[in-house]
Amino acid sequence: MLHGLGQNLAFGLLVGALYGLVALGLSLIFGVTKFLNVAHGELLMFGGYASFWAFSLLGLDPFLSIPITILFLLIIGALLYMLVFSRTAKLPEESKIKNTLLVAFGLSVILQNLALRFWTADERGITTSYARIVFTLFDVRFPLVRLACLLVAIAFLLGLQLFLKKTYTGKAIRATVQNWEAASLMGIDIHKVYLLSFALGAALAGVAGTLVAVNYSIMPAMGLGWTMKALIVMVLGGLGNIPGTFIGGLVLGVTESATSFFISSNYREVAGLVLFFLVLVFRPQGLFGTKES
Amino acid sequence: MNKSKIASIVLVILAVVFLAVFPLVFKKDSTINVIILILLYMTIASSWNILGGYTGQTNLGHAAFFGIGSLAARILWVKGLSFSLSFLAGGLVAVILALLIGFPAFKLKGVYFAIGTLALAQILNVTVGNILPEMSYNPSLADYQLVPRYYLFLALALVTIGSAYLLVNSRIGLGMMAVREGEDAAESLGISALKHKLIALLVSAFFAGLVGGAFAYYHVSYYLNMPFGPEWTFDSMMMAYIGGTGTIIGPIIGSIFFVGLKQLLVWNVGEYHLIIFGVLFILIVLFLPGGLVEIWQKIQKMFTRRRRLEESNLSAMKRAEPLRKGD
Amino acid sequence: MLNIENINVYYKELQALWDISLVVNEGELVALIGPNGAGKTTTLRILSGLLKPASGHVRFMSRLIEKEPPHKIVEMGISQVPETGKIFTGMSVLENLELGAFVPKARREKDKSLEWVYAIFPRLAERKSQQAGTLSGGERQMLAIGRALMSKPKLLMLDEPSFGLAPILVQNLFAMITRINQQGVTILLVEQNVQLALELAHRAYLLENGRIVGEGSGKDLLSFESVRSSYLG
Repeated sequence: MLHGLGQNLAFGLLVGALYGLVALGLSLIFGVTKFLNVAHGELLMFGGYASFWAFSLLGLDPFLSIPITILFLLIIGALLYMLVFSRTAKLPEESKIKNTLLVAFGLSVILQNLALRFWTADERGITTSYARIVFTLFDVRFPLVRLACLLVAIAFLLGLQLFLKKTYTGKAIRATVQNWEAASLMGIDIHKVYLLSFALGAALAGVAGTLVAVNYSIMPAMGLGWTMKALIVMVLGGLGNIPGTFIGGLVLGVTESATSFFISSNYREVAGLVLFFLVLVFRPQGLFGTKES
Repeated sequence: MNKSKIASIVLVILAVVFLAVFPLVFKKDSTINVIILILLYMTIASSWNILGGYTGQTNLGHAAFFGIGSLAARILWVKGLSFSLSFLAGGLVAVILALLIGFPAFKLKGVYFAIGTLALAQILNVTVGNILPEMSYNPSLADYQLVPRYYLFLALALVTIGSAYLLVNSRIGLGMMAVREGEDAAESLGISALKHKLIALLVSAFFAGLVGGAFAYYHVSYYLNMPFGPEWTFDSMMMAYIGGTGTIIGPIIGSIFFVGLKQLLVWNVGEYHLIIFGVLFILIVLFLPGGLVEIWQKIQKMFTRRRRLEESNLSAMKRAEPLRKGD
Repeated sequence: MLNIENINVYYKELQALWDISLVVNEGELVALIGPNGAGKTTTLRILSGLLKPASGHVRFMSRLIEKEPPHKIVEMGISQVPETGKIFTGMSVLENLELGAFVPKARREKDKSLEWVYAIFPRLAERKSQQAGTLSGGERQMLAIGRALMSKPKLLMLDEPSFGLAPILVQNLFAMITRINQQGVTILLVEQNVQLALELAHRAYLLENGRIVGEGSGKDLLSFESVRSSYLG
């Protein structure tokens, strides 16, 4: 029993790291623009398909195709912002957030059905030649692929942190988060900040999509489920809080695994959703956030 | 009573009569099924609109009420309870669910309410799918008749829309709209936001539950968690927005448009209609928040302005004439 | 250098500014005084581009700027210290100052500007790694002004810098503001502390209910009867 629990915990942490990455893009966009991009899962899905096709048609290893995914989603994210979200950004305060939610939701419908048209409803997955390699430590099995995903997730998390802390552009983004008016008085073009954050958030979603394609499977209808996971993690970790998002991902991963172990694997998803709702109602600032806005 | 009100009432009566005799004239099953689909969506969209459109609370979990109404009705009916009782039980169970989740859900404001209700509906969706994964079969398969089901949907659509109309034009309806325009402002006028949101939620849930029961009556066999699927919420919401939220006729137009578009495009290729619908939805949210109703009102205004111009020209001419005669 | 010509400004349907005209010449320290709600902050927001006027023009160095976005206006050389400073509390003092030099021109001279600001406000140099949120009120105001100076502005606008500060701190602050002006920075000062503002200013405008009701040199307005009775009590 104890051994099974150990395996379960390890698994939960590995999955949790992936969840953290999934939420990272959404958290960035929300933190900067206050837009809740509920089409996040669909962007993730497109990233997964990009890697899948790179793998199937070009034989490109999914981890190596990440730059392609990033480029692809940067472009899509930028386009979506310029065509659609830049218009909601100009709306008055009261209707801005709600209308952005609606617009994002409409986009999720469009993107899902576009994917359906392009690639059919078939489930796809990426199975690499090394998919079966497993490391064993203290009787706990660590699949190589999952470890690689852990590394990728940590790499992007650290990368984003460094970008925000050390570069001028990153600081401009943080300034916009804290006080957009003061930021614009510094000569920071808020629209450029929004555009960049959106494109970056989409790119991060795409990278997460690649990992999902490797670990699970992808299909056009997968978006909502992953958007929900991203939302859960984001709320757990405290909105716009990046290290918190990662830990929130771990919390979700472990919660799901524990539920799977003690109750049944059918209820993994439900556990996360219940946790989400409880946190929303009783501790909306998340497990790590401070009571601010 | 002015001309346009009389015209509206006549139109409504004509439409109802038309729908009432429809299955007697057009006997083809496939045609009747299309109208049933329109009536089904019309009812769900109208029920969503009560909370979402008139009270301004974006409820992304509406499918939970639709689903639980159909679940309760189906289970009771299959167990032997008469359909009419099962049907009503469906509505009741939906209201109970609404009461249970209403209080915690309304602690959330704005966007959080939207994603909170979405989470709740998904919880139900997955749980029902886990507990009752089997397909449900209609016991009275041999006696299946389409026409009574048509009339059930028609009657339900009329009752729902009629109730929505009455509610919206009452004092409570006024309070609901005040909450939509601004909760704090409404509270400062003595309007309890929570009370009005709850009333809107309960009415909305009740009718969604009832139409869920009708759905259970209509389908021969289906997976019990199917009506819990989020597409029921999303499609209805889009219909309400495209037609025009905050109007009675909006969801009606939206649902006709939705099903019509689907029928039109099914001859071409697959799921194009949802892509077009999604694009239209975004365009309306961004540029024309009043939906198709707003377009219609703008056209009407253009004509009344022309008529008013003509009338004022006419009366100006009449005033000028006596002067000319006198010269 | 700065010319506001007959601007009218509305907040939704309410008119906030009526036909405002004022002039700031290079090297001057001009004060804009008036009671709460007179429209002083609104005027500054027009100048920094956060608000757009319904009619009228704003000319800066003979360029029309009333329609420009805020970040462009900073690039042109106008910098504002908003009410209560609005520093980035989640960042260090140094990061705040660095952000002040965001525009490309200023970024190149960042290190020189830092030296200059540290010379005027030595306290900021002491606290440069400290989180801005932990600074005292007076230090925050210094940081806000220092941050605005980092863009090497030709025109510096200050919105009520004395707000919430103890009198001794206010004296110090205004001494530094005078020093900054003497070093060649043109200043437009919006202030509630009428006495000090008028003592410092070369010229001043009196704003009441969205209209300019008085104009003159600082000393003249100080002695003007109605100003004495209304504001100096």
